[in-house]
Amino acid sequence: MTVNPKKLRPYDEPPKRRRRLIPDGPDSAATGFLVAAAIWLAVATGLGALAIGLRLIEIEFSVPLLFDLSFAFDGRRVDYAFVNATVYGWLTNAGFAAVAFMTPRLLGRRLAMEAGLNGALAIWNLTLAGGIAALYVFDLGPHAPLTAFPWLIDGGLAFGAFIVTAAFFMTAALSLRTAYVSLWFAGVALLGLLGLLSLNAGLGLLEFFFDLDELPVALASGFVERAISVMWLLGITYAVLHYVVPRGTGQPLAWAGIGMLSFLTWLVLAPLAGLSAVADASVPYVITSVGIVATMLLLVPASLTVMNLAQTMQGRWTLVFGAGTAAFALVSLAFLFGASLLEAIGALRAVDLLVGGTDWERGAFLWAAYGTFTFAAFALAEHALPRILRRAWGGGFLSSAQLWLTFGGATIAGLALMGGGMAEGALLGQGTELEAVGEQLLVYRATAFLGFGLVALAGIAFLVNLFLMYTSGERADYAVPGQSATAAAGH
Amino acid sequence: MTVHTPIETRSGGVPPWAIGLTVFLFLVGGVYLASNLAGENPAFAIPGASAPVASGGGEADPAVGEALVAEAQCAACHGPDLGGGGNFPSLLGVEEGPVSDNLQDLAAEHPEDWIGLWIDGTVPETEGLERGGMPAFGDQLSPEQIDSIVAYLLSL
Repeated sequence: MTVNPKKLRPYDEPPKRRRRLIPDGPDSAATGFLVAAAIWLAVATGLGALAIGLRLIEIEFSVPLLFDLSFAFDGRRVDYAFVNATVYGWLTNAGFAAVAFMTPRLLGRRLAMEAGLNGALAIWNLTLAGGIAALYVFDLGPHAPLTAFPWLIDGGLAFGAFIVTAAFFMTAALSLRTAYVSLWFAGVALLGLLGLLSLNAGLGLLEFFFDLDELPVALASGFVERAISVMWLLGITYAVLHYVVPRGTGQPLAWAGIGMLSFLTWLVLAPLAGLSAVADASVPYVITSVGIVATMLLLVPASLTVMNLAQTMQGRWTLVFGAGTAAFALVSLAFLFGASLLEAIGALRAVDLLVGGTDWERGAFLWAAYGTFTFAAFALAEHALPRILRRAWGGGFLSSAQLWLTFGGATIAGLALMGGGMAEGALLGQGTELEAVGEQLLVYRATAFLGFGLVALAGIAFLVNLFLMYTSGERADYAVPGQSATAAAGH
Repeated sequence: MTVHTPIETRSGGVPPWAIGLTVFLFLVGGVYLASNLAGENPAFAIPGASAPVASGGGEADPAVGEALVAEAQCAACHGPDLGGGGNFPSLLGVEEGPVSDNLQDLAAEHPEDWIGLWIDGTVPETEGLERGGMPAFGDQLSPEQIDSIVAYLLSL
C-alpha cells in the first residue's frame, strides 16, 4: 500500500530523535573545546592587558566577603589570573580540541568516549573558572602562577585531563606503534599534563594537611610551572604543526624520519628542562646545569621541525600570503624558532643572573604563549572549524585582523618586556636605586601595554569571526568521521 | 564508512644534515654541561616572599634576609655565590670587617652596625662615602629587613 505523506497522522511519523543531555555526536567535543578556547582567549587577553597596565600604575584594594574572606585585587593576582587563563583556558582547551579533532581522522575510527570528553569539557572549564576566582580570595603562598590554585581545583583539573587522556588512549593505543608522529607528540604531552597536574594536586593536599616549608613548595611549584610549558604546551604544539602543515598545504610531510627524530629529542629533553627552574643553593649544582643544558638543547627539535615543515611547504608558498592555515602555521614556526633561541640564551647562568626575576621572563612567556602556541592553535582552528561545522569562514578581514594584530601585538609586547628586563638588570647592576629603575621601565611597559592591547583586539576578532561563521557562514561540505563520506580530500 | 585520511610522507629516512645538526648541538650542550658540573646556585627567589616581610617586621631573620638578597639581585654584582665579581667585593666573611678601603673608617667608628648602615646608605653616617655602584636601600627596605639581610650575611 502506498502511503500519502500528506496524510500521515502523528503516530505514523517516525519518532523524533531525542537530544541527549551530554552530546556524543562526532566532533562535538572538538567543537566544544574550540568554542571554550575562543572565549578564554578573549578573557585571557583582557586580563593580560590589565596585568601589564598594573605594572605601569599600581592599584591594590580589598573588599570584605562572607566568612572572614575578602576579595583582594593587586598586580600579582591579576598576573596569575592572566597566566592561568592563557595556559589552562585558551591553550589547553585548544590542545584538547586538537586531540579530539586529529585522532579520529588519523586513525580512521571514532573517538572513544565522545560524551565523556564533553563531560571533561564542562569539568575542566567550570573548575578553571572557580580556580581563577579563588586566586582573588585565597593566599597565593610561595606558588608560581600555574600552581597557585587550591588543591581541590587542581584535583578537578587533573580529573578533566584524565578523561581526555583516557579517551585518547582508548582510541589510539592499539594503533600507536605505526601511527603518525602527531599522535606520538599528543600522547606524551597528555601524559605529561596529567602527571604534572596530579603532582600539583598531591602537593596541594600535602600542604593542606601538613605545614610544609616555603622553599621546597616553591621549588616544586617552579618545576611544575616550567614542565607544563615544555611538556604539555610545546608537545601539543608540535603535534598540531605536524598535522596542519601537510593538511593546509595539501602536501606530504617532507621527512618522516626527521619528524620522529624531533619527537625523540623532545621526549628526552623536555622532562629534564624543568630542572632548570629549581635553582637554589640547596639543590646540587649539576642538577640545575642538566636542566639548563636541556633547555638549550630544545633548540634541536625546534630547528628540525622548522626545517621539516618548511620543506613540506615547498612549492606552496603562495598560501602564506593569505590569512589561512598555512600562514598561521608559518608564523607559529617562526616564533617556535625565535622563542627556543631566546629560551636557550636566557637559560645561560650569566644571562639569567642579569634578567632573572625581571620583566624579561614575562616577555619570553608572551613570545612563547602568544607567538608559538597561539598561532599553532589559530592554524588548527582555521583548518578544523570549517570541517567540523561544515561552514566556510565568513570574513577574510577578520582572519587578517587576527593574524596581524596577534603577530604585531605579541612581537611588540614581548620585545618591549624583554628589552625592559635587560635594562632593569643592567640598571640594578650599576647600582641604580629601585625607584629610578621603575621610572626607566615606564616606557618599556607602556609599549608592552599598547602591544598587548592589539592582541586583546585579536582575541575579540577571533570570537566575532567564529560567531559569524556559525550564524551566517556559507555551507561547505567536508567529510565527518563516522559518517558516510564522499569528500575526504583536504580533510 | 569511516573517514581515514592518513598523512603521507615524502621520505622515511633522516637526511645527513639533520643528523649532523643534532650531533653538533648535543656536543655544544655536552661541553657546556662539562664546564658547569661544580659550583653553587644562588638562593631561590620565592614568589611573593617580600610581601609578608614588608608588612611584618620584628626580629631579624636570616631566611628572610636570604630571600631579600635574592630579590634585590645582589648576586648580579657580587657574584652567583656572593663571593665577589669584577670590581665588586665578596660578601663572604663580612663579620671580619670590610675589604674595601672606603668602608674602613665606617667600620672603625661603628664596628657593630657598619654593614646595616652601609646597606641603608641614606643615614648621616654614610654621607660622603663613595658608593662605587652600590645602591642605597634605605628608601626601599625597612630597618627590620636590613637587619635580616645583615643576619643572613653574617651567617654565610
